[in-house]
This record gives sequence, structure tokens and C-alpha cells, in this order.
Amino acid sequence: MRGLTRSAVVRAYAPIGAVGVIAALLPLRYGDSRTMMGVIIGGALFAAYVIGFNVIFGSTGQLFLCVGALAGLGGYTSALLADRRGLPLLLAMLAGCLAAAVVGGVLSLVAVSRSLGVIFTGIVTLAFSLAFHNLLLGRRDLTRGETGLVVRAGSDTLLDERVAPYYVFVGLVVAYLCIHRALQRSRIGWAFRALRDDEVAAELAGIDVKRCRVAAGTLGSAMVGLAGALYAHSEGFISPSTYAFGRVDVRVLVMLALGGIGSLLGPVIGAAALTVLDEWLVSSNEYRLVIYGVVILALFLGMPRGVAPTLQSLRERRFRWRQTRQAPNAPNGGTTSAASGSPAPTPSTTSTRTPAR
Amino acid sequence: MKAVVFDGVVLGLQFGLLGVGLTVVYGLGGVLNLAHGQLAVLGAMVAALRLDAGASVGVAVLTGLAAAGAIGLLLDRTLLRPVYRRRGEPRVLLGLLLMLGVAFVIDGVLGWRYPIEALRVRIAGAPIDVLGVGMRRGSLLASAIALGVGAVLVAFLRFTTAGKAVRSVIEDEVGAQLCGINPATVRALVLGLSAVLAALVAVTRSMTAPVTVDAGIDLTILALIVAVVGGLGSVSGAFAAGVLLGIVNTVSAHYIGSYVTTIVLLGAAALTIVARPSGLLGRGQE
Repeated sequence: MRGLTRSAVVRAYAPIGAVGVIAALLPLRYGDSRTMMGVIIGGALFAAYVIGFNVIFGSTGQLFLCVGALAGLGGYTSALLADRRGLPLLLAMLAGCLAAAVVGGVLSLVAVSRSLGVIFTGIVTLAFSLAFHNLLLGRRDLTRGETGLVVRAGSDTLLDERVAPYYVFVGLVVAYLCIHRALQRSRIGWAFRALRDDEVAAELAGIDVKRCRVAAGTLGSAMVGLAGALYAHSEGFISPSTYAFGRVDVRVLVMLALGGIGSLLGPVIGAAALTVLDEWLVSSNEYRLVIYGVVILALFLGMPRGVAPTLQSLRERRFRWRQTRQAPNAPNGGTTSAASGSPAPTPSTTSTRTPAR
Repeated sequence: MKAVVFDGVVLGLQFGLLGVGLTVVYGLGGVLNLAHGQLAVLGAMVAALRLDAGASVGVAVLTGLAAAGAIGLLLDRTLLRPVYRRRGEPRVLLGLLLMLGVAFVIDGVLGWRYPIEALRVRIAGAPIDVLGVGMRRGSLLASAIALGVGAVLVAFLRFTTAGKAVRSVIEDEVGAQLCGINPATVRALVLGLSAVLAALVAVTRSMTAPVTVDAGIDLTILALIVAVVGGLGSVSGAFAAGVLLGIVNTVSAHYIGSYVTTIVLLGAAALTIVARPSGLLGRGQE
């Protein structure tokens, strides 16, 4: 069942390779322009954020509204350790990543052990997010508040060039995608899918639901933290608004909704789509927020049966040709279509989450 | 110190009124209205525009309240219909995300069309002495309105048939339906009412300081904190939490600093969820 043959592995990772190749070719077209490179680096950064968020929210349904704060935790930890304490760059970034992982893990642990539903998890993480923002603003001695912090570490490495940092980010995104894919194909991935489809049934089947959730929360937060740290060093300047809720979480949500919650490539597609959209709207900064809102409304309303089931059935239709050949390890629709045999557009009841107890 | 606490009570009564709307809407249908503050600002901006156009304060404020209420009603009858067709966790999630979208749209439209608009309602007159503290007339009027409306609201919920219908839907949606109550009508009216209350808070706040176009997010977050500390779904809890947090807010802002104050308020909300999810006055039902 686990598809251990070589061709199955190749097929599972081929989409990631395709993403990597396409992303790697972009500088050929835009490499001359510093602004455009900045834009696509931003796109790659957000793709990394969204993959992390997808691991947390898409895999285990924990609504973490603190992606920006976790990224900021990574960014500020890394920048301060490298610049003030003189830690080597890689070590500092690792520390930033670790800090985010610990905080994300603790948040997840709290949410799980108090069995907070989606709404309370959302509020707690939102509260953390806003508190962190205020902490950044308030601790002026450390963060220089709204003026922002110039990050010197990393400026003498390849991160300072025009195109090279982009490849670092592409590498990061590809690595994250591989991690997510490996996760999906592992026992944990099956557990994630089982607990997302039916928590009680998963628990009864012997899956440690709590541990799965905390693991996803920790891993996803680590991903977000590392991306935030890397951005701090490649950009050379961070301020509280770099990681503000309105700047990061809002876009991450829209991107994931655009790309498809829980899917492997959804985050990349969503990030690319919104980055392009943003570039079109660059002259219309004033009503960008309106468009974000309309996108959210349209996406979630246009799927009357619920976001996850609709995406699933859509994906089933789109990937039907692929699934006929590799049903066991198809992206995410695999479970339902493999079980029901025919990928009928009506979602099977297993894909809706159990109501709150 | 006494003056600071009094200011806190004034602020807290308004916090309470702000939180009540959010809490009742959530209790009724499981929709966490993340556009609560934005609806308040919408009402305030309509009032401000009427004022600019030369309307009297009373007319302008009433128009603003009506506009907020109408939008709330409209949202419930259109956008939220698919939400209510669901139950349990999917309903909560969809409701939350849709209202977040609405918040962006309202914020975006207002910020784009009227970037510098602000509502100021000036209450003239010398400060009035209350227990040895000179209170501004604006603050006193704001408190009086909050208290009065709060009392009417509690009386409405407790003693009228319509209020009992609202409470029964909060208690048990299916049971209420079996008793011949239409939850959809109740929800629509309550969302409209909560938007009116939110706009009213924006108006009373503008009696002491201008309410600007971008105040929506802050108001939403305040309402969220108050509603959470009071216990989502609990009306009396929201008022108690509002007054408590209002005092905490002014005392902490006066003696420590504004950044820390925000963190304290957010921490209070997070702590309540973790330690006592049903809120201050919660009955421990889950």
C-alpha cells in the first residue's frame, strides 16, 4: 500500500521537481530588475509560510492565526543573536527556527490539552500574535520599535546579491515541499488524514491524536520560523510591521484558500497567484484590502459544501487520470476515491469533520 | 487613583456593550463576528458623513445606527445563509472566515473612499463633580447610554417573549425550533441589533475622542477580548468582563504603559480560554 517502488517515489516527488524547475527559471526573465526579484522573493517567502501553515491547519485543523508572529519570533531571535551576540549566521537562524518551534509547539499543546475547538485555538493564537506585536513595539531597547532593525549579519554572504537569495528561498520551498510530501507518505501522514476525516474514529483506531496535532504544530511553526529568520537576513531590515498580522496572516490565509487547503502544491499555487494579483494591483494600494476580502468571500462562498470537500472533489476530478494509476498515494483525495471506487462529485461523509463535542 | 478607576468604569461600560453584541451573535449561531468593530465604524462613518452634510447630531447618529443595523441584517440574510446550513465545527470555521472577509471589505472600502473621515460628537458643558472627581459630560453621557441600553437589553432578554426566544435559541437551537421558534429570524434580528449596539459604542466613544476610519480592527479585538473573558454567549458575563477590563485597561495604561496594557488584555483573554473556557460567570457548560 505504501508504494515503496521506485516509480511511485518518482511520481510522488515529480510535482515538486516541476515547481523547483519553474521557480529556478524565473530569474532568467526577471533577474535584471532588483524590484522584480524582490517581488518574487516575497512570493517564495510566502510560499514557505503557507506550507508551514498548511502543515498545521491543513493537516490537523488547528487554526493558527499567528504565522506572522512565529515568523517574527524566528526573524528577531536570529537577527538579535547574530548581531548582538555575534553568533554564526546559521546557528542564529537555527535558534530562531527553534524558538518558533517551541512557541508553536506550546501553543499547540495548550490547544490540544485543553481541547480547544477551532474558534478558541484561533483566538488564543490571535491573542499571542497581537501580544507579540505589541512586545516588539514596546521593547524599543531591543527591537528599536517601529523604526525597525537593520540586520547586518548575512549582508556579507551570498544573501546580499540580487538573484542568489532567491535561489536560497526556492531551495527552502522545495525542501519544505519534500518534507510535507514525505510526511504525507509516512505513517504520520496517514494519521493526519484519518484524524482530519474523523477524529473519534482515528482515536479509536489507535492514533494518538494529541501527539499528532502537537507534532504538526511544532513542525509547521519551525518551518515558518526558519523562513522568517532567512528573510530577516536576506532583506537586511525588519520592523514589527514586517511580521504584522495584517501583513502576513491575512495574506497567508488568502493564499491557502486560493491554492487549496491541505493539498501539497496548494500553498505554492496560492502564493504565486496572489503575488501576481498583488503586482497587478500595485497601483491600487487603497482598495487592495477590498479585493482580499472579496477573494476570501468568493472562495469560501463558492464552495457551498465546505472548502475541504469541494477542493477534494475538484482535485479528484482533476487528478482522476493520475489516480487511476497510483491510487494509494494520490495527493489527498486518495482516501475517499480509493474507498468509494468512483470519484463521484458528492463528497463522502468521511471528509467532513466531526461536529464539536 | 479614583479618577483613573472612574475612567475605567466609563470605558468598561462601553467595552461591555461592545462585547455583548459579539457574544450574543456567537451564542446564537456560532458565528464569531470578526467584522463587529468594522460594522461599528461603518455606522460611525455614516453618522460622520451626515454631520458633514449638515444634519443635526441626533439625526446623524440615528442614521448611522440604522445603517449599521441594516447592513448587519443584510449580511445575515445573504452571506451567512450557507453558514447556518452547516452544523458544528464546519459552521464555526466558515462563519469566522466569511466575517473576516467582510471585515476586510468594510475596512477596505471605508479606508479607500473616506481615508480621513472621523466621527466627533461634542458634548459641551463644564465637568460635573462625581464623588469628588470632575467627570467630563461626554464621559457621563456615554456611561449613562451604555448603562441604560445595557439595562434595556437585559430586561428585553429576561422578560419579553422575543428575548426569551433569543435565549432559547442560544440554549438549544433544535429544541427552540421544535417549540415553534424560527432560529433564522431570531439570528437575523440579533445580528442587526448587535451591529446597532456596536455602532452605538462607536458613537459614545466619539463623545470623548474621535473615532477614525481605521478603528475597526481595534474595536473588533476589544469586543473579542471582552466576549471571551465574559464567556462567549453570556450577556451578563460580557458586561462584567467589560467593566473589569475597562478598569484594568485604564489603571495599567496610567501606571505602566500602553503596550503592556494591550498585552495584559490579550493575556487575560488567552488565560480565560485556557483556564476557564466558559468565561468569568460561566456555568461550566461545554
